[in-house]
Amino acid sequence: MRRQVPLILCFVFGIVMIFTQFIPHSLSQSLHQEVRQWYLIIFPFALVFSSIALIRTHVMRIRRRTEHWRYSFLIFIGILMMVVIGVPFGPQHHVFEWLFNNVQVPMDATMFSLLAFFIASAAYRAFRARTLEASLLLVTALIVMLGNVPVGDLVWNTVFAWLPWENATSGMKQWILDNPNLSARRGIILGISLGVISQSIRIILGIERSYLGGGD
Amino acid sequence: MLEKLMSIDRRIIFILVALAVILPTLIPVSMPISVSEPTQKLYDYIETIPAGGTIMLVFDYGPASLAELNPMARAIMKQCFAKDIRVIGLTLYAVGTTMGSTLIQEVVEETGAVDGEDYVFLGFRPGLELVILGMGTDITSIFDRDYNGKPLSEIPMMQNVTNYDQVDLLVDLSAGSLTEAWITYANVQFNLQIAAGVTGVIISQMYPYLQTGQLVGLIPGIAGAAEYERLIEAPAKGTLWINIESFVHLLIIGLVVIGNIAFFIQRRREE
Repeated sequence: MRRQVPLILCFVFGIVMIFTQFIPHSLSQSLHQEVRQWYLIIFPFALVFSSIALIRTHVMRIRRRTEHWRYSFLIFIGILMMVVIGVPFGPQHHVFEWLFNNVQVPMDATMFSLLAFFIASAAYRAFRARTLEASLLLVTALIVMLGNVPVGDLVWNTVFAWLPWENATSGMKQWILDNPNLSARRGIILGISLGVISQSIRIILGIERSYLGGGD
Repeated sequence: MLEKLMSIDRRIIFILVALAVILPTLIPVSMPISVSEPTQKLYDYIETIPAGGTIMLVFDYGPASLAELNPMARAIMKQCFAKDIRVIGLTLYAVGTTMGSTLIQEVVEETGAVDGEDYVFLGFRPGLELVILGMGTDITSIFDRDYNGKPLSEIPMMQNVTNYDQVDLLVDLSAGSLTEAWITYANVQFNLQIAAGVTGVIISQMYPYLQTGQLVGLIPGIAGAAEYERLIEAPAKGTLWINIESFVHLLIIGLVVIGNIAFFIQRRREE
């Protein structure tokens, strides 16, 4: 029963929601709207479950004294602080906003900024013109990188001022994005879309059951 | 020498990157910025919206992407407020709530826009595509109150706004694939005109939608933000940062070229 009930629910709601998309009748549309409201109610429960899973994971880390287990306390302090302020007073509260703007924003932005350092290091070590394909990729990447910043056109317009083409670096970048990139992207989008449709049908029909997890 | 060059310590590269960022920050340089077609299209589209029109500005990003997307949001809001176009701010991304609210407040302090008359911030609702679909029928079915808890029925600028039919344009500022959800559900189903401002890594993903006209315009990364600031004639952080990025790009290109020269010399020697 633990598997059959979710499978039946998935099948019924999957089919009903597909049909309501294609039937403009008011009854069908109000049903669609009603189910949307249910989803909006159900969604916050997912947040509760994910919070519980996070807490359980870090409790286990502390219990087992795994590597860097002390940092798990920071998770609890962070959760506790935001919940204590956010739940009763809302995210509009000035303390909540202050914590977000002065703790989360700088930390998150810093983590992402580190990428620039690693990308530079990785590009130096790994970006080699070993084959024809790698060479094409390399040349394309260099043109796009140069065309994406104003210094590219500045250098071109200064060094090649005698040529009739102004701002050619950004022009070449735009051509790459408009033509080879667009064609490849369209192929990828079509492939992904067909994959999503087939996977959705498999889930609705109960062929694909991995979303149910393990157990009976 | 060649071996040393090939196995250069990564910390030296880190220091070079840091210098390429810090030096132009301390000594700002100004380079001419040429405006790309997708950015120009969005600017022109907003220019055609009459005074009293409404746009939706969606903050679908978190702090990791604020360097690229905040300057875009700021520039668009300035253009709208200068033209007396009303702005409805919202987010489908929980972390975007406080960011959107803070940013709007900053722009409001500069422009003197009035809450409820020139702009309203609705905040966040979970549900992604269901939120998009729901607002297509009735915005109040999803957001019955604004971020500050005021009922939408009491907000003057929302009196004549029921759903997407009264919205002239939606600009999605996104660090992920949420723009595609807006296109799929709001553009295709409700014919809402959509434009996007996206981070550098997903620019190429947006081009098919530009070509089909499903996106009326696109601000591509920090370069696009700088272009937009040039268009509204208000250079700000986007312009400063793209100039700094120029040096980092030059450094990375230089490193790649040096690495390849060393690689080819070494390969020739081995042969």
